[in-house]
Amino acid sequence: MKVQCRLCPKECLIKPGQSGECRVRINIDGVLRTVVYSYPCSIHVDPIEKKPFFHFLPGTKTLSLATVGCNLHCKNCQNWEISQANPEDSEAFFCPPEKLVELAKTNQCTSLAYTYTDPVIYYEYTLDSSKLARATGIRNILVTAGYINKEPWKELLQYIDAARIDLKSISDDFYREVCSATLKPVLDCLVLTKASGVHLEVINLVIPTLNDKPQQIRALAQWVKVNLGSDTPLHFSQFYPQYKMQYLPPTSAETLDTARQIAMSEGMQYVYIGNITSETGQNTYCPGCKTLLIERSGFTVLKNQLKNGNCPTCGQKIYGVWK
Amino acid sequence: MTRREFVQFVLKTASAIAVGAYFITDKVSPRRFIRAVRQKKYPGSVKQLSNINTQGKWRG
Repeated sequence: MKVQCRLCPKECLIKPGQSGECRVRINIDGVLRTVVYSYPCSIHVDPIEKKPFFHFLPGTKTLSLATVGCNLHCKNCQNWEISQANPEDSEAFFCPPEKLVELAKTNQCTSLAYTYTDPVIYYEYTLDSSKLARATGIRNILVTAGYINKEPWKELLQYIDAARIDLKSISDDFYREVCSATLKPVLDCLVLTKASGVHLEVINLVIPTLNDKPQQIRALAQWVKVNLGSDTPLHFSQFYPQYKMQYLPPTSAETLDTARQIAMSEGMQYVYIGNITSETGQNTYCPGCKTLLIERSGFTVLKNQLKNGNCPTCGQKIYGVWK
Repeated sequence: MTRREFVQFVLKTASAIAVGAYFITDKVSPRRFIRAVRQKKYPGSVKQLSNINTQGKWRG
């Protein structure tokens, strides 16, 4: 008997013995099964700035993990070797939720990061690990494309402290052609996340010729400002030729700087550029008095002058989770 | 109607009903899940957890 997975908007109809598009949710004897629960393919201690999170516990370490598989198939995927891999062709560690929490504690990590591929597809593992981590005082952070149905997302958000969600473009055509997905579920996910009170940062990978036109950047920044608020940190990240998009050049520093300027001119308060070194594009400034609050170099925090989440000069409250 | 025509009619009608029934049940019958059940055995190879203190090579 076929089963239908209703976790993500693809709602795959899966024949016996086959998997959904994500490759890890399989119909076995008429029951939907996840084959990656407790089997991450990658576990590392990363700086939280690498996710990137710039307004959530800066300077801390996060235990980062992923299983193979993804429900999107972005032609530019930077982690395609694991996101587009089949479980049967891959190596994994046995690491149940209890072990993850223990590893986070022994490695002085303040959070668990479900990242690298997409935590949506290893939903049950993420959910159970998040519940356990929260009960022991470890924070949970998601790095995701936000392509998930509302009901499971609402349930997961109850245990999540921060989410960094990709907004790959403000164009539905882009999502269809580049990611084999659609735009609306992502927008819904972003709005739901912000409304739930979970800390949110948004990232946009700027790809030459596909989503780097000033009007596209402007439309994206306007949507974020109107629907998520001008205080939502917005990251513009450098594209590097990968996977099925090796024919495009890397995003230039000028294009990223222009994107940042456009978003700031639209009223966004915290706009960053990433995957590339920048004099000022990785620092946090007070939107009120322009005081340098957090100075960063790469994934390292060089200076943090915030006082209880406020600007030390003018006292303005800065959006984020600081302790 | 000859006997041959009658047999052809019956066969065509029966096969049309069977094909229609197959497509309808194929569309409406799947069991729907949001949560998946944990499968204990990993289909790929399982290795020992190695040094995790190095920064991940993957983006994000």
